[in-house]
Amino acid sequence: MTNTSRMAIQKNKLHTKWASWLGLVPFFIFGLAFEFLPLLTILQSSITRNGTFTLDFYKRAMDPMFLRAFINSINLSAVTAILGVAFGTLVAYAIITSPNRFLRNALTALSDVTTNFGGAPLAFAFIIILGSTGVITMILQKFGINLYPAFRIYSISGLSIAYLYFQLPLMILLIIPSLLGLRKEWREAAMNLGATSKQYWLRIALPIIFPSLLSGFLLLFANSFGAYATAWTLTGSDVDLITIRIAALIRGEVQLEPQLADALATISLIIMTTCVIGYLWLSSRSRKVRV
Amino acid sequence: MKSRSIWRPIVLSLFLIFMIVPLLATLIFSISIRWDRTLWPEGFTLNWWHAVISNPGFFLTLKNSFLVSIATMICLLLLVTPTTFWMRLRVPKGKPIVELITSFSFGVPGVILALALIRFYAQIPLPIINRPAILVAACMVLSLPFMYRPIVNALDAIDFRVLTEAAQSMGAPVWVILSRVIIPNIMPGIISGCLLVFSTVFAEFTLTNLLVGTRFKTFPIFLVEFTRQDGRQASALAVISFVVAWAASLLIIWVTSKGGKETKTIIGH
Repeated sequence: MTNTSRMAIQKNKLHTKWASWLGLVPFFIFGLAFEFLPLLTILQSSITRNGTFTLDFYKRAMDPMFLRAFINSINLSAVTAILGVAFGTLVAYAIITSPNRFLRNALTALSDVTTNFGGAPLAFAFIIILGSTGVITMILQKFGINLYPAFRIYSISGLSIAYLYFQLPLMILLIIPSLLGLRKEWREAAMNLGATSKQYWLRIALPIIFPSLLSGFLLLFANSFGAYATAWTLTGSDVDLITIRIAALIRGEVQLEPQLADALATISLIIMTTCVIGYLWLSSRSRKVRV
Repeated sequence: MKSRSIWRPIVLSLFLIFMIVPLLATLIFSISIRWDRTLWPEGFTLNWWHAVISNPGFFLTLKNSFLVSIATMICLLLLVTPTTFWMRLRVPKGKPIVELITSFSFGVPGVILALALIRFYAQIPLPIINRPAILVAACMVLSLPFMYRPIVNALDAIDFRVLTEAAQSMGAPVWVILSRVIIPNIMPGIISGCLLVFSTVFAEFTLTNLLVGTRFKTFPIFLVEFTRQDGRQASALAVISFVVAWAASLLIIWVTSKGGKETKTIIGH
C-alpha cells in the first residue's frame, strides 16, 4: 500500500468519525436550548447588574427571610432522607428475607408504583387522613390523643410525613440490590466464628452497604429539596421553603425581582447538583465493588 | 428463631398500612356523604363523582393533560430512539455527553427549570413563552431519563452488533436497520419508556403552573383548584390520578417482565 492511499484511508476514517457526530447534533441542540443555555442565563444574570459583576443578589439571598427558607428546606430534606433511609432499609430487608415469593414481588411492585406518586393527589390524600377532621385524627381522638393543635398537616412536620410516602419506596428500590449482594455465607461465617447478630450487622453488613446507604441519602435529600407540588398543595405559601419562595418570585406574588430569584435558584442548584453528583459517584463505586 | 421472625410481619404490615391507607381513604372520602364528624362515613353517594364529571373543566383539562403527555411522548421517542441507536452504532464516545444531558432533570428541580426557561426565552424572539409548546419542551427535559434509560437498557440487552452486522451485510441502509431490525427488538424498552413518560407528564403540576399558569389548564391544575373549593370533588379527581398512575406502572411491570422473559429465551437459543 502506498503512503498516499494509506493517508487517504486515514483521512476517510477521520472524516466519517467526525461526520458521525452529526447524528447526535439534534440531541445536543435540545440539551443546549432547553437545559444549558437557560441555566447559564440565570447564572449570568444573578451575578451582573447593568453589565458589571456584582455579588449583591447573593448578599440579598442570604437575608434572614431567605436564609430561613433555605434552612427549612435543608431540615425537611435531611429529616425525610434520614427517616427514608432508615425505614426504607428496614422494610427492604424485611421484603427480601420474606419466605413468601408472591409477597416479595407484590411489595416490590407496590414500591415501584408509589415512588412515582406525589404532588397534588398525594397531598390531598394526607389532608383527608391527617387534616383537622381527618380519619386518623378522629380515630386518635377517640383514644384520647389530640393531634391538633400541636401537630398540623399543613406544617413542616406534616409535610415530612407526606414526603415519606414517596421517599420510603424510593429507598426500598435503591437498597434492595445492595441487600441482595450480602451473601448468606458471610453471615454464616461470622456466626461460626462466634459473632452475634448485632456484631454481624455493625461490623460486617452495615460497612458493606454503607456507600449505598449514603448514596440513597443523597438522592432522597435531592428528591425532597427540589419538591414543590406536594408542599404547595398542602400548605399554599404558608410553609417557608426555598422552592415555594422561588415560585412566588416567578409568579410575581412578591415584588418581581428576577435577579434575586436567579440567585436563589443558583444556590439551590448548587446544593442539588452536589447531592446528585455524590449519588452518581457513590452508586457507580458500589456497583464496581459488588462486581 | 421464632421470636426473631416476628418483626418481619410487623414491619411489613406497618409499611402496607402507610402505603395503602391514604389511597383507600381518598377513595372512600370521594363516595361519602359526609366524613368529617364521625369515624365511619355518614352514608355513601356518587353525587360528588357526578358533579365533578359534569363540570365542563373536567374533560377539557383531561384532554389537555392527554395532549401534553402524548406530545411529549412522541417528541421524546423521535429524539431519543435515533440518538441512542446512532450513539451505539457510530459514536460510543458521545455517551458521556448524552448521559449528562439526560441526567439533568435529576439535578434540576421543576421550579428552577421553569425559572430558567422563562428568563431565557423572554430575551429570545421565539414565540413559545406562555404557550403549550414551552410546556412540552420542559416536560421533555423532565421525563427525558424515563425514556432514555429503558431504551438504552433494551439496546444493551440485545445482540446489537450481530443484528446490525447481519443487516448491513445484506445491504440494508441505516434507517432500515433501525426501523425494521432494532426497534422491533427493543419494543419492551420503548413501551415502558413511553408509559413512564406518560404517567410522569400526566401528573405534572409544577412546570404547568409556573410556565403556562391558568392559560392552559391541565388535570393536576384542575385538581389543585378543587382542593381549595370542594374537598369531596377534589378527592374524586385524586382517585382518577391514582388510577392513571397505577395503571401505567402496572402496565410497565407487565411489559418489562414479559420482555425480560423474551430476551432470556433469545439468549438461551
